[in-house]
Amino acid sequence: MNVIECKGLTKAYGRRQAIRNLSFTIEENKITGLIGRNGAGKTTLLKVIAGFFRKTSGEVHVFSYQPFNNLKVSANMIFIDDNITPPTALNLQELLESAASFYNNFDMELAKRLFDYFSFHPKQTHQSLSKGMKSTFNVIVGLAARCPLTIFDEPTTGMDSAVRRDFYRALLKDYIEHPRTIIISSHLLDEMDDMLEDILLMKEGQVLLHSSVLDLQEYAIAVSGNKQVISNWTKTKEVLYKKDIGVGNTYVVVRNELNELDKQQAHIEGLEISPVSIDDLSVHLTSNDKGGIDDVFTRD
Amino acid sequence: MIINSDGTKPIYVQIAEWLETEILNGNIQADEKMYSQYQLADIFNINPATAAKGISILANEAILYKKRGLGTFVSIDAKQIILTKRKDQTLKKLVKDLVVEAEHLNVSESELIQLIKDAGKNDEGDEE
Amino acid sequence: MSLPEINTWRLVRKQHAFKLKSYAGMYTSLMAIQVIGMLFSLGGVSSGGVSGDEHSIEFRTYSSNVVIAFTFLWAFISSILITTRAYRNDDFTFVTNRLTSNLSNLLFLLSASVIAGITSIMTGNVNKVIAYFFYESDYIIATDITFQGLLMGTFVTILYIFAFAACGYLVGTIVQFHKLFIVVIPTLIIGSMFIGTNTHDTSLLLVWIMDTYGKETSILLFVLKMIGTVGLLFLLSITLSNRMEVKQ
Repeated sequence: MNVIECKGLTKAYGRRQAIRNLSFTIEENKITGLIGRNGAGKTTLLKVIAGFFRKTSGEVHVFSYQPFNNLKVSANMIFIDDNITPPTALNLQELLESAASFYNNFDMELAKRLFDYFSFHPKQTHQSLSKGMKSTFNVIVGLAARCPLTIFDEPTTGMDSAVRRDFYRALLKDYIEHPRTIIISSHLLDEMDDMLEDILLMKEGQVLLHSSVLDLQEYAIAVSGNKQVISNWTKTKEVLYKKDIGVGNTYVVVRNELNELDKQQAHIEGLEISPVSIDDLSVHLTSNDKGGIDDVFTRD
Repeated sequence: MIINSDGTKPIYVQIAEWLETEILNGNIQADEKMYSQYQLADIFNINPATAAKGISILANEAILYKKRGLGTFVSIDAKQIILTKRKDQTLKKLVKDLVVEAEHLNVSESELIQLIKDAGKNDEGDEE
Repeated sequence: MSLPEINTWRLVRKQHAFKLKSYAGMYTSLMAIQVIGMLFSLGGVSSGGVSGDEHSIEFRTYSSNVVIAFTFLWAFISSILITTRAYRNDDFTFVTNRLTSNLSNLLFLLSASVIAGITSIMTGNVNKVIAYFFYESDYIIATDITFQGLLMGTFVTILYIFAFAACGYLVGTIVQFHKLFIVVIPTLIIGSMFIGTNTHDTSLLLVWIMDTYGKETSILLFVLKMIGTVGLLFLLSITLSNRMEVKQ
């Protein structure tokens, strides 16, 4: 069962295409991480899915409905980002009650327990909270709403690392008890890749990769060692990233198409093989063509 | 599997190994129910799909068996299979790595054997 | 995947209840503007005097006209306010689509107009009471108002306030479409005030408004005209905003 289906989806602002010709499907009850550099089009995509933005062309279906202006999609979806500015007249307690009145599955018990755990006060107002506390309150609403489609767009902005860890844990525990489709966009992939099932990697408005975390963890492999040995060794391989270390050494990331024998051979030749974290991989895959930051400082 | 000795193994492999250790230690006996993917996901704070892959590795190796609708259980020969596997694969691989590394460092065979013996003694000493 | 049906009207009522609470700032601004209106009319909305050899007569009239005029302005501005991005985004924090968001705004503005209408009539009477106690006067001539007359006056006031709200709502919606309208609309409104002023004393637009609504003697026809106009204004707003994007 697919919750989200996109086919050739494009969203343009004037001439600039924020997302272009996207095609992918997201299955029911999976946690998907939406990853990409700043400006890759993640938020635009999420807002088209949420029904806030109108698509320019192509197809987008959420629960097999067109999301724009669709009440059913809205009622079964919650979108949490760091731009939420609830009405100033309501305090936190009233905001929770309002959310509960709108979302059928809202679990007030859970919301209250998280609310107390993170030391919120019912009479506080949202605008009086610090940035991290705002984000924390928003994700409490997002979790407790238990929407069949839960979208978190950069939910951890401003949270300290202890709170982030608590949030990931809370999300996972609640997901295990109440499986649902969850999309999280974040730059902190290292912190949460264990929690994800799938990853949707975007670059310049397009889907670069859509794959399970398990596969991505073995998508690439890093090899380091003598420059000459490496350059021989990588002739037949797809190099994703390359960096010189000192004078005689090189670190390369290649597509992991090696068999056991290849690896042993590499080992015997004195090459160091190590896995590549998904976070590093996504940085390598989405790097622009202008080289790395080092090239900015290289004057020759 | 990625060759490394610094513990950066894929998580599902670590899960599988943890389960094997549970069985070896006798914490879960033959024909007892194994942790579910959701229990494992909760314990290790990982996605249930990752946990499921750890379980399925062991199921493929006949260390676990599935009962439809009831979950996975520890097979009678589980301990034996795990021990054989660890000897055949893990230990052999480690030894191979060891030998390669020794060659790099110009450590002779007898020196290496002495090192292994010493390491064994040290371990015993630690336990006292 | 089949999802449960959403009852549009139930949702609109929920949103309405939510807005009655969350737009509390509107009541504060209403109170403020009516108090200001009251202060302006404390000395009487008009006064005059005659003096002879032995007597001098000074008269002041007290009414709620200033307060009501201020309330019209409040309705107009508040309606513009709730079409702004911040308010629209508030709606989309929870379950909504553009139609229910507009309908619940309409209901809210109606509720607010009722409150504003009643309070503005009441403040007018407060003025008279203040005048009775604080001004040294020999005679107070009050126009006889029957309870029915008072009700009717309140009702008509509410309709006018709601009409101003509907105008503001449309103006706000159009402005949301393109920022250029912030300049264009006031220009058009002010400009239209002058059309016809060469040949008539007042502008054709104002004359037309006075003729259509103000001079209508049949209450039934007046109500129908008002409802028709307000309905048309909201329909336009809803149609315009139905394709508008949010959370940009």
